[in-house]
Amino acid sequence: MRAKPYSNPYLAGVLLGMTVLASYLILGAGLGASAGIARAGAFCELALAPARTLASRYFGEWGAEPLNYYLVFMLAGVFCGGLISALLADRCAVIVERGARCSALKRLVFALAGGVIVGFASRLANGCTSGQALSGSAVLLTGSLLFLISVFAGGYAAAWFVRRQWYD
Amino acid sequence: MINTFFSSGTLDSPAAFLASLLIGLAFGVALERAGFGSSRRLSGIFYFRDMAVLKVMFTAVIVAMLGVCYAKAFGWVTPDNVYFLHTLYAAQILGGLIFGVGFVMGGWCPGTAAVGVASGKIDALVFLAGALGGSILYNELYTVVAPLTANDRGVVFGFDSLGVSEAGFAFVFTLIAVGCFWGAEAIEKKRNGVEGYWNSRFLKVFSAMLAIGAFGLFAVQTKPAAAANAAAQEETLLTGMQEGADHIEVQELADRLLEGDASILLVDIRAPEEYAGFHIRTAVNIQAADLPASLAPHKNQGLIVLYSNGMTHPAQARDSLARLGFGNVYQLTDGLQGFLDVCLKPVSLRDAPVPAAQTAKIRAWRAFFLGAPVAAPAVAATSVRASEPLPAEVETEWLAQNLGRGDVKRIDMRPQPEYKGGHIPGALSLNIESLRGCVEGIPSTLLPAKLLAEHFSLMGIRPDDSIVVIWGDKEQDATLVGMACERLGHSRYAVLRGGFAKWQSERRQLDTLLPVVTATRYPVPAKADAFTVGAKDVLAAVGAPGSVILDVRPADFFTGKKRDEARGGHVPGAVNRPFADDVAKGEAFNTLKPVGELAAAYAKLIPAKDSPVIIHCRTGHQASQTFFVLTRLLGYTRVRWYDAGWTEWAARPELPVVSDEQKPEGPK
Repeated sequence: MRAKPYSNPYLAGVLLGMTVLASYLILGAGLGASAGIARAGAFCELALAPARTLASRYFGEWGAEPLNYYLVFMLAGVFCGGLISALLADRCAVIVERGARCSALKRLVFALAGGVIVGFASRLANGCTSGQALSGSAVLLTGSLLFLISVFAGGYAAAWFVRRQWYD
Repeated sequence: MINTFFSSGTLDSPAAFLASLLIGLAFGVALERAGFGSSRRLSGIFYFRDMAVLKVMFTAVIVAMLGVCYAKAFGWVTPDNVYFLHTLYAAQILGGLIFGVGFVMGGWCPGTAAVGVASGKIDALVFLAGALGGSILYNELYTVVAPLTANDRGVVFGFDSLGVSEAGFAFVFTLIAVGCFWGAEAIEKKRNGVEGYWNSRFLKVFSAMLAIGAFGLFAVQTKPAAAANAAAQEETLLTGMQEGADHIEVQELADRLLEGDASILLVDIRAPEEYAGFHIRTAVNIQAADLPASLAPHKNQGLIVLYSNGMTHPAQARDSLARLGFGNVYQLTDGLQGFLDVCLKPVSLRDAPVPAAQTAKIRAWRAFFLGAPVAAPAVAATSVRASEPLPAEVETEWLAQNLGRGDVKRIDMRPQPEYKGGHIPGALSLNIESLRGCVEGIPSTLLPAKLLAEHFSLMGIRPDDSIVVIWGDKEQDATLVGMACERLGHSRYAVLRGGFAKWQSERRQLDTLLPVVTATRYPVPAKADAFTVGAKDVLAAVGAPGSVILDVRPADFFTGKKRDEARGGHVPGAVNRPFADDVAKGEAFNTLKPVGELAAAYAKLIPAKDSPVIIHCRTGHQASQTFFVLTRLLGYTRVRWYDAGWTEWAARPELPVVSDEQKPEGPK
């Protein structure tokens, strides 16, 4: 089956904005995704080296059960929501998404390296595109707006160097 | 104001988890519908190929912003019921720049990658694995990068940073967004040659709606309802001031502090130099500008008392806090000067004659406020709250920061001469022997609850105090106090990690003054504790499947090679784990071994965390340390303590004994 076309981006944006608003009004906090991943990271490190993790200054604060956190559940919700929506639109396909002239391995190496950088940077900035750039900017927080600007500055500065993974 | 999970403090409840899951669900659907399950589409913005990211993100930001602004204008959202992220310039700018590089390299960000995985994208899965690793990397490098996160500016809004009105900022921001939408459409049209939404009726209507929505903010932000609300608040404030309900008299304050009233947070708002020169005992120093942020955890909890030299500054500070919804802020009548004149001025220097009763009071005040100086940390008011859980072991740093707190009782177990030579400020000296004695014929047994409560009363301890036990050369001295706490149902106790030796090795503050203590009446629990067992219970556990009898004496006593009781050896089926094996010896001080190491060691001896375990040694003293390790550090749930221990077991010939030695040596 052919994948259905994407929604009107502005209407998708309205839906996303309403979700942010609902999050603030119901939870009393904005959206977040990277915290869920970091909590999973803490969980893994706890499984490997419990004493070291509990004694560490950053993960140690989260205690012995880091997954007991609302943003972990939110991330699970994002996955489920994405799955439902993708299935309904016939957009599920197991592939490595890349340019035609880029090897799958090269694309995966880029994805891994980008992931490590993003995971690190999200902790440093205390949030990612969801928590800071989207939710924080929506309530006009100075730091979040600066984060948003910085993300695009960093992205445009590096775009030229990694352009080949999208060459067709 | 809406009651959010954040404002009711229940963000960690199952209901909040379910709400988060549902909000996440909507979030995931929105991202997927937007086409963000594709890294090619996401990275398109960086090559001006596909501007969807800009359109979706900016629309979402503007829609949520307008929603929140209106909610604020109607009084639904305030900084009290919504958690706003703090601004830290270095961390957010640097973090953003690095993030951008990772974003364009990986083609994903955390939220979209979750949708990518749901759409079957292998590169998204790899990206997420990388992000997980990156988080661990951050934790490992935390000590190096932490300085970047040091300068926390608190909650800062962009419109305040620029010094403009919120509505004005939001309106201009909306116009910029609309401009960007048209720009993005123009780029796509030029580059891809398709019309898209350029000049479409949809985009015109959409742009106009956003602009009108933003413009409407100018009207509602001065809405009568909000003004009326503020006026009502103002009225309460004025009435309160007229009735003097916002004042606390110096004598009342002095008495309550003397009694160790932990509900009072005394705040000195003078300059740090003045505070360092002299301040009322237990006061913390917070500058007026920092009050709202620093006092936030104490909002409407307990009593916040502000003082300065006079009355003007605390009154201003109190009013501005009251406007932020603080209903529990008081100021000290006549300020510090009044306090000095009324409470601390020596009787001999007073103009008018002073009645005898008042003279005694002044003496007590002088002893408390001038006698034993307690160093209060600068702005430590927010470091710990009385309601916060106390860890099983506290670090010396934690104690140093909480020295100013009257509800943190420190008990020093070292011998008296050492205590008198210098102790942690405010520490009480306790001899281990005052907690145990001959109970029903068995020597060295922990005293019954009634007697322990009596000792706690004499030490001025209250049930809601946090007890920190400081030990000299034996950690089990501290854990035996822990057993006394357990027996009294006093769960807020902790052991100082590394004991006095660590404190001393760090050259921290010492004091030779005795603390001023007012006796309390510590309540006696109605029921006997459930964790102390007798010989009968131990006998019942012998051979019981799944249950463990843990003998923590040194190995030679366990085997029977050495003995100092009537019989040598051990209870049949008991396993040996000498208490000393849990201790890591250091050059300057000893500590318990790392939790992971202890967990691994005990996992080999005890089948499950809820297996029934009975611990004993000779007198119950060493076993108290193992009890602490198992219950407070490792989370074993069914641990019981045979206090009478080998002293009783060996001396009762009808109880069975196993000895590895055929001919045990006599008592040494």
